[in-house]
Amino acid sequence: MISAKGVSLRYKDGTLALKDVTMEIKPGELVFLTGPSGSGKTSFLKLLMGMEYPTTGTLTVIGQLITKEEVKNIRKLRKSIGPIYQEFKLIDGRTSLDNVMMGMRFLDIPSKKIKKIAEEAIERVHLEQKKNTLVENLSWGQSQRVAIARAVARKPALILADEPTGNLDYENAINILQLLYSFVDSNTAVIITTHATHLIQNVPHATCIEVEEGKLRIIKGEARVDETRT
Amino acid sequence: MKLVHNIGYFLREVANIINMNLLSNLLSVLGTGLILFLLGLVITGWNISSKVVETLQKEAEISAYFNETVTYNKAEEMIEYINSIDGVENARLVSETEAFSRMQDILGEEAKILELFDENPFEAYTEVRINLEEMDFVLNQISIMEGISYVRDNKAVLEQVQRLTRGLNMISYLVMIAVGITTLVIISHLIRQSIYNNKDQINTLRLLGAPDSFIGFPFLLSGILLTLTGGILATIFIVFLINMGYNQLTGALPFIPLPNRGTLLLKLSVLLPAISIFLGVLGSIFGLYKER
Repeated sequence: MISAKGVSLRYKDGTLALKDVTMEIKPGELVFLTGPSGSGKTSFLKLLMGMEYPTTGTLTVIGQLITKEEVKNIRKLRKSIGPIYQEFKLIDGRTSLDNVMMGMRFLDIPSKKIKKIAEEAIERVHLEQKKNTLVENLSWGQSQRVAIARAVARKPALILADEPTGNLDYENAINILQLLYSFVDSNTAVIITTHATHLIQNVPHATCIEVEEGKLRIIKGEARVDETRT
Repeated sequence: MKLVHNIGYFLREVANIINMNLLSNLLSVLGTGLILFLLGLVITGWNISSKVVETLQKEAEISAYFNETVTYNKAEEMIEYINSIDGVENARLVSETEAFSRMQDILGEEAKILELFDENPFEAYTEVRINLEEMDFVLNQISIMEGISYVRDNKAVLEQVQRLTRGLNMISYLVMIAVGITTLVIISHLIRQSIYNNKDQINTLRLLGAPDSFIGFPFLLSGILLTLTGGILATIFIVFLINMGYNQLTGALPFIPLPNRGTLLLKLSVLLPAISIFLGVLGSIFGLYKER
């Protein structure tokens, strides 16, 4: 599903965000990327989304090489990814349902089914009552749920969630994480970044990878990280 | 095709794009409408001048005068020959009496002066209607005929008409180019502005993997809608103006050969919206291309 070999990322201003990362993530895995702010977690997700390109090394996501030259194919790859952004990236002036449907309109999903799938996704995040509410009128937690519904309604092979528990109280954070675990199956991998390590200590079958100053170190779980290189 | 299935979504997006900058968009519609109205006026002027020229060309004629030795039968033979020359539409004999009568008509109340003559001072001649394009050839052919003493042409006037037509055509082309460029600039600027206003949404759709065609289609539609609305406004104004103008002109200046009103209105009603759609598509594509 994801294969990184000696991947480094240096931004234009010279900041080295990731250093020589070598790792592999398989379908059906639940992976937490933990670490303090600025450690490189979001940078790693940006690489997986094709929003940035490795400065050195080779990165493949769902069989797609992530390089500048592959920009057209990376746009196609994104159809297979369900992204959940820290700042949600919902579209104002539209309802929750519209936002979820908007993420599916250009996929290979029959038009007649789009609304039904979107409604099911909204039910799954327990927002039926708010499906016709404009997203700018939702609370932080509700917006987070709409973003999750939009991501999962697309039936992606890979769900990437960037700090989904940030700004949420303990109870809501646990609910959101449990919701995200529920989407892991044999075909779907879920990668979640969080700096709230206390929330994920007891999650079974999860891999925890600590990111610190651009280096990855496995704490527990099955994902393979070549720490000897870092 | 996804574009067809999503037409409802695209139309809602078009409404959103237009509502986001309603005043600016309305002003642009008015601006485009006025520019297209100007184009409509030029096309109308072009049509009327073409009709005038066409009529003049059809009615272009020269007069060929005979030698005194030419008999009536010889004149008939000569006219038969003139009719066979390429570029001659029709040639006929105008007798002395008809020439006198025509002059009376021309002089009107002043025709009394003709009574001073003891005899009819006019001679018979040949009136030759010609194709203006072949004027030089026809003049040459008739001038060298035996029995012809003098050929009178209105070459200078006809050439002036031709020059005027060429000038009008040139102005029309220039106005059309100016209208085209202005509309393209307005629409491409509007689209760029709309794209800028919606940049967050566009960015989100790109991150979700939406193809450029899906993202750009609502902007293309909104560009077309804005110019088409301008085109329809221009058509309404021009139809109103033509109807008013025709009612005035046909009463006051009946001798001006105007093109058929229905045909002209139909032509403008198809042409202006079609041009506006074309410019809308082109302007939107420029706007989208620049903001890629």
